[in-house]
Amino acid sequence: MLITLTLGSALIAESAEPSLIITLVIAITVGVKGWLVVDYFMELRNAHRYFRIAMNLYFVVLPVMILLVYLFPEGIANLVDLER
Amino acid sequence: MADSSVIADRGIPETGQPLSFLPKPNRIPGNGAVWVGIYAEMTEFALMFLVYFIAKVFHQEVFNQGPLQLNTLAGTLNTLALLTSSFCVAKAVASVRMNRITTAIRWLWGTIICAVFYLVVKTWEYYWNIEQGIEIETNLFFTVYYYMTFNHFLHVGWGGGAILWAIYRLKKGAYSAENHEGLEAIACYWHMIDLVWIIIFPLLYVLR
Repeated sequence: MLITLTLGSALIAESAEPSLIITLVIAITVGVKGWLVVDYFMELRNAHRYFRIAMNLYFVVLPVMILLVYLFPEGIANLVDLER
Repeated sequence: MADSSVIADRGIPETGQPLSFLPKPNRIPGNGAVWVGIYAEMTEFALMFLVYFIAKVFHQEVFNQGPLQLNTLAGTLNTLALLTSSFCVAKAVASVRMNRITTAIRWLWGTIICAVFYLVVKTWEYYWNIEQGIEIETNLFFTVYYYMTFNHFLHVGWGGGAILWAIYRLKKGAYSAENHEGLEAIACYWHMIDLVWIIIFPLLYVLR
């Protein structure tokens, strides 16, 4: 699954034009890959819940950030612009 | 942390094979100290990702064109190498839980091979970049690219050193099915390195 998602991302990198759907697919891919590694390789799926939540949250926030930056670049630029 | 009760619960002594690879609930894999390190590293990379996002909203055209100029093959090969290396580490931990020390060592050497492969591919990619005229100061995208990827490159380097240390400790008989907290800690750190690359790859090579 992880390898399939990686090869899918490579295909997107080589061929797809930027769009909301493509960005959504990339964001979901990041989240799913992260959760798989955290739950199965790191074995956090039945570990102390604070540890699991912290790591899984990372792979919720990052995909959401990817989407927000795609959807609202100007708004975010205005928000973080120190000269305004 | 693996203690004897956990092992007994999973029936290793009777069958030689664990009933499940899942350790007991509510545990902290490895030890607390390594998680301080892991969260510190994840925070460090989170700041880099924040810089990436902020730079991207101010320089959208540069960040849209940047991924097209990078070597996608190198990025993909390195992703596959790190995923494979994480699999090898997970198999090594599972082997130790079955007291198969020699097998665990072989899996860890698999991790080292993947790590060296990653380092070689990344070095080749940097040389390839130079041939294409891509350098740190080419534009802001490549400044972020070099800062992020070289930082990760260093992590793979010293993470590989930690894996070598685990191999040495296994050969010295320091880890067993009953006691392998140190190996678990190193394994978690290595998985963290893989996790960070799972984010870096799409941000720099795929996303436009």
